[in-house]
Amino acid sequence: MKNTEMRQELIQLGGGAHALAIQILGNPDDAADAVHDAFTKVLSRPAAYDFNRGPFKPWFLRVVRNQSVDLLRRRRSAEPADALVNPGKAPDQALEILQRDEGLRKALASLPPDQRQILVLRDYLDLSYAEIAGVLDIASGTVMSRLHRARMALREVLERNDE
Amino acid sequence: MNNPRSTGGQAEAHVNELLSGYLDGELTQQKSQQVRLHLESCQLCTDNLESLRALRERMGQAGLGDTNNDVWREMMDDTTVKVSRGIGWFLFVGGLLIIAGIGVIAFLTSSSLGAGEKLLVSAVYIGLGALFVSVLRQRLIERKTDRYKDVEI
Repeated sequence: MKNTEMRQELIQLGGGAHALAIQILGNPDDAADAVHDAFTKVLSRPAAYDFNRGPFKPWFLRVVRNQSVDLLRRRRSAEPADALVNPGKAPDQALEILQRDEGLRKALASLPPDQRQILVLRDYLDLSYAEIAGVLDIASGTVMSRLHRARMALREVLERNDE
Repeated sequence: MNNPRSTGGQAEAHVNELLSGYLDGELTQQKSQQVRLHLESCQLCTDNLESLRALRERMGQAGLGDTNNDVWREMMDDTTVKVSRGIGWFLFVGGLLIIAGIGVIAFLTSSSLGAGEKLLVSAVYIGLGALFVSVLRQRLIERKTDRYKDVEI
């Protein structure tokens, strides 16, 4: 992959990578740092990506996940999962959408990190099960059951919160 | 799957677990067909599938990360500068150390200077080196422990 293509791809993946990192680190600022670290790692060694081993997106998200876990270990100070969704620089968004996202934010925050990650990887970043298995370093056979449990848990929390 | 009208139990749990795979198009053709047949006769699973679909759509449309590409483009430029600066520093310091090493060897093996002169010049340079290391160490410690280092004035 050419350097300019990789840069362009990284810019496009920034938002999704940020969302994943937030689920691990618990706050948007630390998550941005993790994405920045991942950019640095990838750009300083672009040859580390081998296109024969699969698409760039899951490979990069795996780098982001590893950087986030490293950062979490180093800081050990993730805020309570209260800021789990990007606070948003979106003044133009309708209030209804903001409120809907707020409900989802709270519900996601109440789930364990493993469930949050798998939900974001599948339902927000649209990764296939095989790609999710690669990012999370788990057997591909366990993705479906783990994802289903996460969805059921999220649905339950949302229903409880709506009552 | 044997008892599609049931509202609980093992058979229903199996169907439930396959619903996510069915929704995501990740089942084999055979399994997918099995679920499809089950859905035709099980309202509970059909409702479950619809609620999972709605949940997935809601997740997909949510603002979970900073989607402003300008933020990431800016960060990318910053990263490029840092990487190129790191490579620059590495080459500069590496080259400087090699030149200094050659200089030291040439100085120590030079026959035109006496032992006393060599000792004197060495003392000056060792002293300078020790001061540099001391200041560097202090700066590094401060950098690690200064909790206000990220505060912009």
